[in-house]
Amino acid sequence: MGGKCPHRNVKKRRYSHKTARRTKFELKGDDMVYAQLNKPDQERPPLPVDEDLPGMGQYYCLHCDRYFANITVRDEHFKTKRHKKRIKQMMGPAPHTQLDADLASGMGMPDNGPKLMSM
Amino acid sequence: MRLEKCWFCSSTTYPGHGIQFVRNDAKIFRFCRSKCHKNFKMKRNPRKVKWTKAYRRVHGKDMTQDSTFEFERKRNRPERYDRNLAENVLKAIPKIDKIRVAREEKHHKNRMKGKKQKLHMEAVRELEQGISLVKAPSVLQKDPFLTLPKIKVGVSQQQQSEENHPMEE
Repeated sequence: MGGKCPHRNVKKRRYSHKTARRTKFELKGDDMVYAQLNKPDQERPPLPVDEDLPGMGQYYCLHCDRYFANITVRDEHFKTKRHKKRIKQMMGPAPHTQLDADLASGMGMPDNGPKLMSM
Repeated sequence: MRLEKCWFCSSTTYPGHGIQFVRNDAKIFRFCRSKCHKNFKMKRNPRKVKWTKAYRRVHGKDMTQDSTFEFERKRNRPERYDRNLAENVLKAIPKIDKIRVAREEKHHKNRMKGKKQKLHMEAVRELEQGISLVKAPSVLQKDPFLTLPKIKVGVSQQQQSEENHPMEE
């Protein structure tokens, strides 16, 4: 009476829902988002039409890496606190990279050698 | 075999050690210990964790600009072997290392330059604030110094009488 079932795991149950799995496994890294945001507008590729995504993949939030069904829902998302926090984070300093780690440990800039002749 | 730097703490990772995470955009994250790997999985920023080299670089605790750093770099283009050059480089490596260590010590000394004065001022402030703990306020009015008077304790020595020596006969 009242003993613990050996098979039920609270931790597994707590982390098995959709939001937690998405946050952990599916979101783009900060440096990928940062690189996309800092590209000039001409170089950003147009969103490909994808039937598997909501709204054919045309209503996309780059900061949060989310797709929305239509433009109204996306504009509602732009007002949320999480999105605003994300915008503020992306306007801050550049994310940490391996180059930063190398420079911090006392190495110089990488030597890529002379430029090769372009074909 | 290359000696890589850890993505999180910037320490050297020797071959056969650490773990490596390749993200699906082919970006590689190397970690020297599970400590760094766990911190990465918790999405911590190395610039905000105090025991990392990135933090120390950002907050000016380590030397960041020096010409000795230029000798050690990742070379993405292989050099053609030259025997004389290789011998000279091997000869120069300990010299460069000695120079770097000396400059780091100088940087540390410069960083600690104002520390003695700061400690002294802290001690003075603590004395002024805490003197009432060891000296009563009424005594302070008579003797307003921040030092305690020396207390003389008399030590008495008893002469041992010869009658109590049982060994002497």
